[in-house]
Order: sequence, then structure tokens, then C-alpha cells
Amino acid sequence: MSPVIIVLAAISAVLAVTMLIAKNPITSALCLLGVLLMTAGIYGLIGEHLIATIQLVVYAGAIMVLFIFSIMLLNLNKESSEFKDKPGIFIGAVAMGLGVFGVIAFALNEHFLKHRQEIPTGEFTSEKVMALGGNSKVLSHALFSQFYISFEVISLALLIAIVGAVVLAKRKFD
Amino acid sequence: MTNDVLIQLLAAFLFTIGMLVVLLRRDTIMVLMGIELLLNAANISLVAFSKSGGMIDGQLQVFFIITVAAAESAIGLSILVNLYRNFGSIQTQSATTLKG
Repeated sequence: MSPVIIVLAAISAVLAVTMLIAKNPITSALCLLGVLLMTAGIYGLIGEHLIATIQLVVYAGAIMVLFIFSIMLLNLNKESSEFKDKPGIFIGAVAMGLGVFGVIAFALNEHFLKHRQEIPTGEFTSEKVMALGGNSKVLSHALFSQFYISFEVISLALLIAIVGAVVLAKRKFD
Repeated sequence: MTNDVLIQLLAAFLFTIGMLVVLLRRDTIMVLMGIELLLNAANISLVAFSKSGGMIDGQLQVFFIITVAAAESAIGLSILVNLYRNFGSIQTQSATTLKG
């Protein structure tokens, strides 16, 4: 267990909790940005370089800039959202969160850790990927050969999303 | 406890926090940020499982999920701007036009 991954995981857990309890939306957005950056670091440390780069460029770069830009555009500082619910709702939600975490951890132990030796491993071990020319080359080759129809469909979906965002953000349909 | 178990536990924790953000916060923009956190937690889990199993399908799936998340946040934020124009606020309880 690498100590750097432990540090990154601890920082991202603390940032996620801060995001939940922060009053100012800008604070929450910056905490989410921190979580995404730590995630990119974890991807890089376990050897997934292409996914780490895409996480940095698309998630931490593009999406979070869009979020912070709209928070500033809407000037949300004045109506900062606080927990106006009764404390019972908050306690119930936190208990439900603990329950969900417990169920996931139980399922992880029951279906993954106990049967670790029986799970067949695929062909792309670290040595094989290294011999084939590195993580980015292997992923890109699969993306443009085996998954090329998905790639085209996802580019079409992005185009539709751009057109939809422009139509929705226009002031009036005239 | 090995690396991938730690990463799976981190993914479960981030998923829980994201769910609580979606459920508890009253700002629409916070709900959208919670959805991003949920998607990020699912991505971490997919990559870690796929890496420990010696496969590349999870990584490719994560590539597509990130693209869909970008499209989703673009659409969601433009809906939010419209919501602010129509109701003057982005609190979730202000949009009650369809309430019977």
C-alpha cells in the first residue's frame, strides 16, 4: 500500500466532507476541484496515465471552470444555502449515508476480497501493457478499433449537448 | 489491505458524500456538483477494478463517462441559468410550478 495514495485518499475524503458542510457554493466548488485533482493523482499513481490526463483536462479543467463561472455569474454569495431542515432530517440522512457505505463495504468484502484468487485476470497485465507500448497507446488503440462506433456516438452526443445548451441559454425563442 | 481495496473504500466514501450532497443541499448548483462527485466515485471504482483485473474495458468506459458528464453539466448549467431567470432564485423549493 503506497503511502502517497493514502495521503491523496485522506485529503480527498476531507475535501469531500468540507464540500458537504460548506456554506458558500464557491468553497464547495473549490473542494470538488480538489477532490478531482486528488483523483487524477491516484489514477496517475496506479499507472493509468491517459485517464489521469483526461481527468485533469476535462473534469478539473473544463467542467469545474464552467461551475465556478456560473456561480459567479448568478452571484450566489448572498443566498448562501444553509441547512434549514430540522436536525432530525440531517441525522437521518447521515445515518442513511453510513448505511450505504456499510452496504458497499460489505459487498466489497463478500464478493471481491473473499474470492480474490478465483477471479480470472484479463490479458492486460502491467507487464503486457508496458510491452505493448504503454497505457496511452493500448487504450487509444482499443478506442479507435474495438470501440470506434461508441466513439462516434459520443461525439454526436457532445454536439447535441452543445446545441441544446445554446438553445436553452438563449433569452427567448424569437 | 492493498492499494485497490483502499481505492474502493475511497470510492464508496465519495459516493456516500455525493449522495448526501444531492439529498441535503438546497441549491440546484450544489445538487449538480453532487452528481459530479457521484460520477467521479463510480469512475474511481471502475478504474481500480479494471486495473486489478488486468483489463482495459473499465478505463474505456470511464473515458465515455467523463464525456457524458461534460455534456450533462453543460446542459444542467444552462437549465440552471433559465431557472434563475424565471424564478429569481436557484433554491430547489422555488421551482414549484408543476406542484398540484
